[in-house]
Amino acid sequence: MPFGLLKYGLGKDYPFEREPDLPATPTLKQHYDVVIIGGGGHGVATAYYLAKYHGITNVAILEKAYLGGGNTARNTAVIRSNYLTPQGVRFYSESVKLFERLSNEFDFNIMYSQRGQLTLAHTDATVRAFRQRAEVNTHFGGRTELIDPHHIAELVPTLNLNPANMPVLAGLWHKDGATARHDAVAWGYAKGATQRGVELHQLTEVIDIIKEGDRAVGVKTNRGTVHCRSIVQAVAGYSAVLAGIAGFKLPLVSYPLQAMVTQPVKPFLDPLVSSSALHCYVQQTSRGELVFGGGSDPYPLYNTRSTLELKESLIAHAVEMFPFMSEMQLLRQWAGITDMTSDYSPIMGLSPLRHYYLDAGWGTWGFKATPICGQTMAELVANDGKVPDLIAPFALDRFDHFKQVNEMGATAASH
Amino acid sequence: MTRSRLDAPFGQWIDRSESVDIRFEGKTYSGFMGDTVASALIANQQWLLSRSFKYHRPRGPLTLCGHDANTLVQLPEAPNRLADELPISEHRVINAQNYSGSLERDRNQLLDSLGRFMPVGFYYKAFYKPFGSWRFWERIIRRKAGLGVANLTVEPRYTDKQYLFHDIAIIGGGPAGLSAALTAAQAGASVLLIDDQPHLGGSLNYHRFDIDAAERAPTLNHLRTQILDNDNIRVLTSATCNGWFTDHYLPVLQGSRMYKVRAKACILASGSSEQHVVFRHNDLPGIALCSAIDRLIMLYGVAPAQRLAVLAGNDQAYLTALNAHDAGIAVCGVIDMRAACDDANLVTALQARHIPLFSHATVFEAHANSPGHQLAAIDIHRLDSHGAVTEHWTTLACGALAVSSGFMPAYQLACQGGARLSYDDGSALFSLTELPEGMFLAGSVNSIHALHAVLADGAHSARQALRHLGLAPVDSRDDGVSCDVSVNHPWPIFQHPKGREFVDFDEDLQIKDIVNSTRQGYRDIQLVKRFSTVGMGPSQGRHSALPTARLVAHATQRSVSETGVTTARPPVKPEPLGLLAGRRFDPARKTPLDQRHRALNAHMVPAGNWRRPAFYGAPQARDRWVQEEALAVRTNVGLIDVSTLGGIELRGVDAAQFLNRFYTFAFLKQPIGKTRYVVFTNEQGVVSDDGVAARIGADHFYVTATTTGVDTMVREMLRWNAQWRLNVDIANVTSAFAAINVAGPNARAVLDATDCSIDLSNDAFPYLAYREGHLGAIPVRMMRVGFVGELGYELHVPSMLAASLWDMLMNAGDPLTIRPFGVEAQRLLRLEKGHIIIGQDTDGMTHPGEVGLDWAINRQKPFFVGRRAVDIVMAADPCRQLVGFTVNSTCPQPKEGHLVIKAGDIVGHVTSCEHSPTVGGVIGLAYVHPQDAAPDSLFEVRTDQGVSVLARVCALPFYDPANARQAL
Amino acid sequence: MKILHCPLNGPRNISEFVYGGQVKPMPNPESATDTEWAAYVFYENNSIGVVREWWLHAPSSYWFIVERHNGSDTILRTYDPSELLSNPGMVSLEDAIQ
Repeated sequence: MPFGLLKYGLGKDYPFEREPDLPATPTLKQHYDVVIIGGGGHGVATAYYLAKYHGITNVAILEKAYLGGGNTARNTAVIRSNYLTPQGVRFYSESVKLFERLSNEFDFNIMYSQRGQLTLAHTDATVRAFRQRAEVNTHFGGRTELIDPHHIAELVPTLNLNPANMPVLAGLWHKDGATARHDAVAWGYAKGATQRGVELHQLTEVIDIIKEGDRAVGVKTNRGTVHCRSIVQAVAGYSAVLAGIAGFKLPLVSYPLQAMVTQPVKPFLDPLVSSSALHCYVQQTSRGELVFGGGSDPYPLYNTRSTLELKESLIAHAVEMFPFMSEMQLLRQWAGITDMTSDYSPIMGLSPLRHYYLDAGWGTWGFKATPICGQTMAELVANDGKVPDLIAPFALDRFDHFKQVNEMGATAASH
Repeated sequence: MTRSRLDAPFGQWIDRSESVDIRFEGKTYSGFMGDTVASALIANQQWLLSRSFKYHRPRGPLTLCGHDANTLVQLPEAPNRLADELPISEHRVINAQNYSGSLERDRNQLLDSLGRFMPVGFYYKAFYKPFGSWRFWERIIRRKAGLGVANLTVEPRYTDKQYLFHDIAIIGGGPAGLSAALTAAQAGASVLLIDDQPHLGGSLNYHRFDIDAAERAPTLNHLRTQILDNDNIRVLTSATCNGWFTDHYLPVLQGSRMYKVRAKACILASGSSEQHVVFRHNDLPGIALCSAIDRLIMLYGVAPAQRLAVLAGNDQAYLTALNAHDAGIAVCGVIDMRAACDDANLVTALQARHIPLFSHATVFEAHANSPGHQLAAIDIHRLDSHGAVTEHWTTLACGALAVSSGFMPAYQLACQGGARLSYDDGSALFSLTELPEGMFLAGSVNSIHALHAVLADGAHSARQALRHLGLAPVDSRDDGVSCDVSVNHPWPIFQHPKGREFVDFDEDLQIKDIVNSTRQGYRDIQLVKRFSTVGMGPSQGRHSALPTARLVAHATQRSVSETGVTTARPPVKPEPLGLLAGRRFDPARKTPLDQRHRALNAHMVPAGNWRRPAFYGAPQARDRWVQEEALAVRTNVGLIDVSTLGGIELRGVDAAQFLNRFYTFAFLKQPIGKTRYVVFTNEQGVVSDDGVAARIGADHFYVTATTTGVDTMVREMLRWNAQWRLNVDIANVTSAFAAINVAGPNARAVLDATDCSIDLSNDAFPYLAYREGHLGAIPVRMMRVGFVGELGYELHVPSMLAASLWDMLMNAGDPLTIRPFGVEAQRLLRLEKGHIIIGQDTDGMTHPGEVGLDWAINRQKPFFVGRRAVDIVMAADPCRQLVGFTVNSTCPQPKEGHLVIKAGDIVGHVTSCEHSPTVGGVIGLAYVHPQDAAPDSLFEVRTDQGVSVLARVCALPFYDPANARQAL
Repeated sequence: MKILHCPLNGPRNISEFVYGGQVKPMPNPESATDTEWAAYVFYENNSIGVVREWWLHAPSSYWFIVERHNGSDTILRTYDPSELLSNPGMVSLEDAIQ
């Protein structure tokens, strides 16, 4: 029995009241060193690294609703680095490493579970692409290999190897693939940041960016005006909207991304399993629920409504992969708003406004990058806009020069 | 009959003449046709059905209508089914879930005593220090997760889907719904009436609307008869409307079918969820909602126990007491949490039946019998003027307790449609606002409770719907219906020093868990939900949402109006995945020659949504077949089915102009009877598709594309022309034509042996030409193309004649031993000629300069799609170049996808690689660093297990550099 | 399942349609700078509000224009692309590529 729980159980009072995870929203000051717009995983992670590793604690996180209530609450919690481009793999590999130790880093259990992620190939073309991804990932120290159907059957005995008349030819087996409790990641970072003096302001909406010439100097909110040295925007699906308020455009299109979950059953599926051809991925959470996700919605929309047609097609494919799941029951559907770039890589770094930094274009691939994102954005801000090498390829101006970092093949239905 | 079974007229839904036996946890129980598993078990005094999620506490039915998770049981084929929804006519073998040992003596109930070591969110605070311990604990915790056990070998049963179209869909067949249906149908609307119970009537089946019980039965019979008589009303019973989707699109689940209903308007008459009372041990089997007790008595004729008590937060609860008494059950007391009830006649009615009344009191603690499986007694305490618990009043022995603290509208469908559910603390009233257009409410979902008002509300909502549809005259004096029956008790929450007062039964959350969440800093109700998991279980907050909102509001010094109550996401109730999936439907496109290939033992593989032969022969000897087929083409003659390669017909005076703007090459002066290579670059300048354009006439082109790209190409063509509005007709004729490519030095000889009307001599029909004619009676379009680098003729014929053509060619080629070849051999042959395959040798960034397609870019013409971007990307310093390469035969053969490494960095990758018997070694294409692109340069390829191989750049093509063989 | 009113076919389930991107006026390919061209390729109107889009009715291969609010998903109107030419904001390719 963990000692901590023993202590709590034998104590008289509820112990956590003495040091709550999240302090109540304080009064908004008139000046901060750094304002972070967006209290999701990326925003609070950035604040955490600023506070812990750069000693910058005069930071306000401004969140228009509640902590982590956007995509951080809605994603399907896949952590992986088996992308295609060297720039992407190098970047996500760092995140995987940070995730491995994250619970102990910020003293909050994110229930990190490295159970491996398996992506299925149903065509020769996919096998080729998978081989390339395995090689790139291995090059950067990851554990990824191409495996045959025999090996797949050992890893996932319950999988139908001939779903929808598209026999599985091979699998991309990424041992580093993992899952975690996505809300806890935001809570852990928020707790760690606020304990060090960062202020978390919920129900605080930014309605304008204050500029002096080409420099951002502050924000106007529904609770008052704030001046600051630097601003970070990390608002996921609403990135383009906020950028519009700041006076510039971002090459993003926001699409809903839907997901759904079944009632919990006793565990039978360890790895996270994804099929490229069927646009469907499945994992079983630590609670025993099965989570399903698929491709993005077919047209752009700033809305989190669920649809019947996507559910039908996604579940039809899931049942092809695991026919016995036909007797399991779906409990809930939901959606998030994903800001998609045309090259499926994020936009990080400088914006046309000086001292206004971007963490955007996270589309359907943002959760897995939460730690490395926080770390690099903090470094960017702490060094007053000197862009860390790791995120240089994701600069906004790459589009001006047609220098996209194309990850499309590695993203579809494998967020 | 057991002594728990009541005589008729109680038990309207059971058939006493048909006895049915079921086995639950290995023991046999007797019930009647019409019973559910739950009612049959309670009839045998078996209230204990399950063990709770976290603490493994004994649980029994709460709602008895499938609205709580206490009745989750395990069927042989499926876990997590609700016993109060399972008809015993269909389910005879049932087991409990989530226990270790036995249901009665679950070893895991130890967790209940260890509860204080598991405060809310405890797992976030423990199990991970020191680093590495979580891996150990996770395994253990994971084993305890989940409720039922999935049957991993069950075969999917048959399910299907059907579409229904109606003017008005009415969800709920209770008094409001029945009344609305009749009003609407009588005005001529086509009505679909949906109810989730086996019989229409809703609360009219079991609720005693008035003291004398005079209204219920006559109203029910009258309405039901009228409904069944009306041709405009279609009735679906045992049918659950599980979602509201845009434009009134409703999935209705009935048995093994999902109806997809499209309505023009919806009336929600879905009723309300009765609410429980929060006190210590309020989760004991035997404690149920008043409506559950009413259902037990009225529908199934089962006495809940020998002695029943009632805990009332409203007047309706009194009616339950009266009803139970009149059914012959001993009612030992009514405990009213209010100072007095609203209708004084109720007090008189209780007195007349000698039922003790305890006003301004509550149950403070419930006690179980000695095995702990059922309620045995309740401690009643007085309440002061603030509603706080004071001294003990008395203890009543009873085996069942009926509770009601209020009614929350069944908000789910409305909220799925974007409506807002709010609760006003002051008036103790719910409201649903911001309903989607065309959705109307009726009955208790609209906070209307008195029977006459409910019936009037139903009719009113129907008139609103009719007006919305333009089916009724606008009546400016149709006011809404009001109802001043107050049903919601403001604070039915009684904290006990020892806890175990359950707010959420599904997740085993008690008062302090909710309050402590806020104390931890999770103050927003959404954060409370995620941190504590309240409302995330199978009932999705149906009973936990309101007490949670009240506790959070109180703990954070806000009103419930400010904190909000809850929202809703589909589905309303858990739905089997098999119903969502429906019947299997895996269409595959087959070419007209599919049977010919299979007859020749082809190994068929997916190509887009088509099936094509990869090679002919057993897959185990793939390499052998591919090499043999390729050699046959090089030295003799082969034929391949290329029907999938897309056919696009362009006709019109602007056809050439259109192609000129669409593709990179020049087409205005393309001679009639000539073919030309086409390349498409998208607006990012990326090479996205290629093919061949044949000019059949001045205004007529026939263009091929890649198998997976043709549909996209046609769509893009149409979209561009929607802007350019050139005079050209564009049609996707891929399925209309089949195509066969005959290739090899003996190709002409084969065609000469058929009855071909075209002059096949090289002068009359040179390389890259296009000709039309006949082979026998088969009209044919013929082109000489050079993909595989041999003398070759591509024949395009109407699909229905494909098999005849194939047979004709095979016959004509038989003396020459013509050999069919598949996609793999073709891939090798084109590789020997250095031709790229879009999507294999190109990726999402490839521009023409990287793959040697500069020659296909025409810069004299003013515009083509992608032109500016191509100029921009090709002006930049190249970062890679596609080259041909060879590798020493002693080295491991590189595979497609292997990386090209330079100075330790990734600079490219192998896109094609194959052993070529013709060239006599391993050849391939790879992206390399521009510095290494010159012929004879060496570059490093990292093969399997990190073994490095040196490759040598080779000028393309590998074979027949003079390109003479295809021009023979 | 949302219903979309196709100008040619009338009200149909939205699953019969394919979204084809925003209607974007093309700058003059001859005179636009590289940066202007990149902006045309990669940027579009992505604020919350009414957008103008290409939609295809797949079964009939018919492209048309939709004006839609991308927050509420309300369809304001749908119409044939021939209306675009009378829109003064659009540069016709003829004018652009003299």
